[in-house]
Amino acid sequence: MITVDRVSKTRSRTRILHDVTFEARPGRVTGFLGPNGAGKTSTLRILLGLDRPESGAALICGRPYRKLDRPLTTIGALLDGSGAHRARTARAHLRWVAASNGLPDSRADEVLEIVGLTGDARKRAGRFSLGMSRRLGLATALLGDPEVLVLDEPVNGLDPVGIRWMREFLRNSAAQGRTVLLSSHLMSELAEIADDVIVIDKGRIVARGSLAEVTGDHRTLEDAFFALTATEAVRPW
Amino acid sequence: MVSRVRAELRKLLGLPTAWVGLVLGTLTAPAIVLLNAPYTRRAIAAGTLTDTSDLGLRDLGVGLIGPMVLGVIAVSSEYTSTSQHAPGARQLTATLTAVPDRLRLLVAKTAALVLVVAAQAAVAATATLGLTQVLHGDHVPAPAPARVAGAILYWTLTALLAYAITLITRNGIVPLTLLVINSTVVSVSYLLTKITDLASYLPDIVGAQMFIRDADFPVEIAPLTAGLVMTAWVAVLLAIGAVLFQRRDA
Repeated sequence: MITVDRVSKTRSRTRILHDVTFEARPGRVTGFLGPNGAGKTSTLRILLGLDRPESGAALICGRPYRKLDRPLTTIGALLDGSGAHRARTARAHLRWVAASNGLPDSRADEVLEIVGLTGDARKRAGRFSLGMSRRLGLATALLGDPEVLVLDEPVNGLDPVGIRWMREFLRNSAAQGRTVLLSSHLMSELAEIADDVIVIDKGRIVARGSLAEVTGDHRTLEDAFFALTATEAVRPW
Repeated sequence: MVSRVRAELRKLLGLPTAWVGLVLGTLTAPAIVLLNAPYTRRAIAAGTLTDTSDLGLRDLGVGLIGPMVLGVIAVSSEYTSTSQHAPGARQLTATLTAVPDRLRLLVAKTAALVLVVAAQAAVAATATLGLTQVLHGDHVPAPAPARVAGAILYWTLTALLAYAITLITRNGIVPLTLLVINSTVVSVSYLLTKITDLASYLPDIVGAQMFIRDADFPVEIAPLTAGLVMTAWVAVLLAIGAVLFQRRDA
């Protein structure tokens, strides 16, 4: 369960988040939708305790991230990049992360297998392709077998096979009762996997509800999105 | 706590640069003792070397590059970009999502660094002083344990100094360059002692008085006082670094 309650944030004198409020519930995939720069990553970074909100609170299972002991057993996060130092092998990266939360070394190989990187365990993270980095990041998120998953643009950089694999993985995770929150600017992709949708634009939540509720009378989620954000679908050419 | 320190030890020792620091720092001083042996023998024979109890301990200085590298990269490795695909992505994200309590994280990181550097200093000091005994044993008194302990403390505090400065700058290049140049090419702090006696209390100058006696220190400071002054420098810089680390967005 994720609760974000009236979170605001100002950066360089510009307010980037205005009273952002939403929930992500167990057993459901919640899509966090918005154009680039709308505040998705900023919100997730506050949720993960990386950045501080100016006001408001973001809670995971009722507690702020910074108060979680052995957080990886509660929540797994995938942000930009893999989080692994370039010079480290995939396995060495996973092992130190596991050790920090008192998890056994064997978990490193288990999660590498889940994400299909067993053959690359001894490869240095700096030599990973974008898709492999994402998989390594996901492997890190899965180390503690957490009940909550938070993913920032998880399909970015994945090939079609990878996208399909990620989609199924996230659906299965939710089916097992996990809370899955993922951000994306890809509306058709989100419409494929999300049960609930939160739409953010210019730092404000403009819609939230089930996929059907947010789509409303519009033909697609994309149409609904443009109506909600009052952005013209301008031709870039 | 133990698991966090273990993780930080693994992180530090898993970096190739850390091993450059470990190897360089451990081997440079004994190598200098070996290279200088003929010169030292002549100096002892000619009677120009007055206090031979400083021999070996003095040579330890060149190995300080080891603790400096280790102290800097323990922090800077968190801030270097992890890949060209995601220029903003850094290891710090993984670190803080694994250990979100920043104070606990810093305690573990500091403990790991102290363990590694103290062990390195003990090995380097044993090798350097042992070699000095083997080569010039007849003329050099066995080093006093308190002075050896002072040297190990100096190495550890130097690493912590580099570490604290990097916590403040969040970038390893500037502190490492300045520290290495100051300890090898031109010692700015030493030159400052020629201008003002106050410079004798700069951390690198004062710290050396914990274990070196016969040098042209303009102000003579007792080893214990020297240790306390250097510790105070490190404590203040660490406190500033820790407060910034707590407050800044990652």
